[in-house]
Amino acid sequence: MAHRDWLGLKQELPRKRRMWLTTLSFCLPILLWCAVSYLPWVWHPLVRVTNPGAVDYFTEDMDVPRADFASELAKAQAAGQPLPEGIRVNPVYLPAPHAVAIAFVTAFQTPPRLPNEPWLHESLGHSIRTILWGFVVSSLVGVPLGILCGTYRFFSRLQEPFIEFFRYLPAPAFGALSVAILGIDDAPKVAIIFVGTFFQQVLVIANTVRKVDPALIEASQTLGASGWKLVRRVIIPASISEVYTDMRILLGWAWTYLIVAEVVGTMSGITFFINQQARYRNFDNVYAAIAMIGVIGFSTDLFLAWLGEHLFPWKRKTRPNSPTRSLWQSCFGGAPAKEIPCSTTP
Amino acid sequence: MQYDPLISQDYRSQAPEVAARFARIRSRPVILSARNLKRNFGAGPEARTIFEGVSLDIHRREFICVIGPSGCGKSTLARIVAGLDEASGGEVLLDGKAVSGPGPERGMVFQGYTLFPWLTVKGNVMFGREMGGQAPSEAEREARQWLDMVGLGKFENAYPHELSGGMKQRVAIARALANGPRILIMDEPFGALDAQTRAQMQAYLLQIWRKVDVTILFITHDLDEAAYLSDRILVLGTNPGGLVEFIENPVSRPRTVEQFRGAEFLALKRRLEEHIHPPVEVEEERLPMVKLTLAGDEVE
Ligand SMILES: Nc1ncnc2c1ncn2[C@@H]1O[C@H](COP(=O)(O)OP(=O)(O)OP(=O)(O)O)[C@@H](O)[C@H]1O
Ligand SMILES: [Mg+2]
Repeated sequence: MAHRDWLGLKQELPRKRRMWLTTLSFCLPILLWCAVSYLPWVWHPLVRVTNPGAVDYFTEDMDVPRADFASELAKAQAAGQPLPEGIRVNPVYLPAPHAVAIAFVTAFQTPPRLPNEPWLHESLGHSIRTILWGFVVSSLVGVPLGILCGTYRFFSRLQEPFIEFFRYLPAPAFGALSVAILGIDDAPKVAIIFVGTFFQQVLVIANTVRKVDPALIEASQTLGASGWKLVRRVIIPASISEVYTDMRILLGWAWTYLIVAEVVGTMSGITFFINQQARYRNFDNVYAAIAMIGVIGFSTDLFLAWLGEHLFPWKRKTRPNSPTRSLWQSCFGGAPAKEIPCSTTP
Repeated sequence: MQYDPLISQDYRSQAPEVAARFARIRSRPVILSARNLKRNFGAGPEARTIFEGVSLDIHRREFICVIGPSGCGKSTLARIVAGLDEASGGEVLLDGKAVSGPGPERGMVFQGYTLFPWLTVKGNVMFGREMGGQAPSEAEREARQWLDMVGLGKFENAYPHELSGGMKQRVAIARALANGPRILIMDEPFGALDAQTRAQMQAYLLQIWRKVDVTILFITHDLDEAAYLSDRILVLGTNPGGLVEFIENPVSRPRTVEQFRGAEFLALKRRLEEHIHPPVEVEEERLPMVKLTLAGDEVE
């Protein structure tokens, strides 16, 4: 009975419906985009001139506002001169879905205009390298420090107040400074990502580690665990899967700092590509490149989620959205729905 | 006191074999003793004394149950003995030496399930041994023995979340015993289990205790459980908090279900009930004058 209800409060939907909704969540915006692009009466505010006729300032392939075109057309009609012709189009900055889809492939195959400019895959590679370096360097320091702060009040009191303060300083504000200190190559870019990630990382992980069930720690103490062994054998494994989830979220944040980092010093990576293409007015490439960032970020996260399932087998049953769990539910019915009484029937 | 099993109404009268057993127990060395334990919470005018003046001696292989009304400090006492909580006064001696802080010689089984979720059942049981510096292969061999002892040998590679509540507690017992503790402290270990599983677990625990040289301090609020398991029962009270009585259980061992209807068992239980349910004599005029019944629904 619970399954008949699409809008049940806080209850998980059956697998089929979940997949439907997931597909729909991507399809809806794309459908909207298609409507705007392919149905001339939805928007199409410009007219692309195909034949200038007698209008002297019209040239072929020129985009003019619809109102201007209409008035020129009326004038030409009144004067009995050759009429201008044109078709309704969207502005150049809103390419149609198929153009972007094609650009998704051709952008990789198009050689750069200048010989010293990078190909798209080189730009992307550069971006991913920058992120990884920033994130890895931040994690190498941030994760151990976060665990220390979460475990020992001493480190928490010693570090966290300053970090809490520093976290409010926006990473982009350090752009000029990091260039002055680290030069114009990749180092300042990595530094921006580091600054953007590190301080959040320490606080978030310290908080996660602090949430370890004290009963587990006490149980281990009565079994003889203490000191570093307790940290290594109890606190770290007890929090590792949540720390892993934190890291996934933090990696997502690192992507938002990438665009800032890449305009620091000499513009580089995917931001450089996007800017260059926008300057050449290849907006289909711009959209394709932006979408690529999304695809990379999203698929990385999906991969990490999948990997997490295998790294932490003891978590499998407790995660409501795990594939194994959903499979179970689709075969044997939604287990969690049973616990929530239906409140709609009187 | 002359003993007559048929007319015996007094929990203090013991059959000869029971008296002999207590004599044997008393002749064994004292494993754990508490001297004048006291515990306060809070400071200044808010300070509350949970209990004070608690002294006891527990002999080797004795099975002690602690009962008392909720909030009288049973868990607090257990935690102090385990070293997880600090007494405000007095001391705990293990084999004659004062202890502070938790240690592997005082194992503990908690009411909540505290198995390590990231370790398999076997990994959990090996944990204490590995902490003690034993080689993993050796620890693993011993873990298997303990799991067989609690009847969970087949589940050694399962994760805790795959076990039922009763199984989890059996693993917790195996985990604590594998460490070879001098004393096993159990704080309402079966409190979260259904009646049937609890009864099974009690029988299990007695079986294990018979085979293993371990002293048990068992907290419970279930009078039947205390009467069924214990050698001696420590009754704690409130207002003032502290030791009310230390009762020698007159029921002979080995224990069976039949004894639940025996005279000794009933006498003991009556005594415990007197402690737990104090006579109801709240002066009626001191109760707040609030009318809670609906009109026309007066209760006589
Ligand atoms: N950390 C604490 N701070 C303040 N008071 C506490 C704290 N821990 C326990 N107490 C108080 O100590 C008293 C004894 O608590 P304890 O948990 O030992 O009772 P208990 O006998 O185990 O009760 P139950 O049978 O309900 O488990 C309670 O009144 C409780 O309010
Ligand atoms: Mg308690």
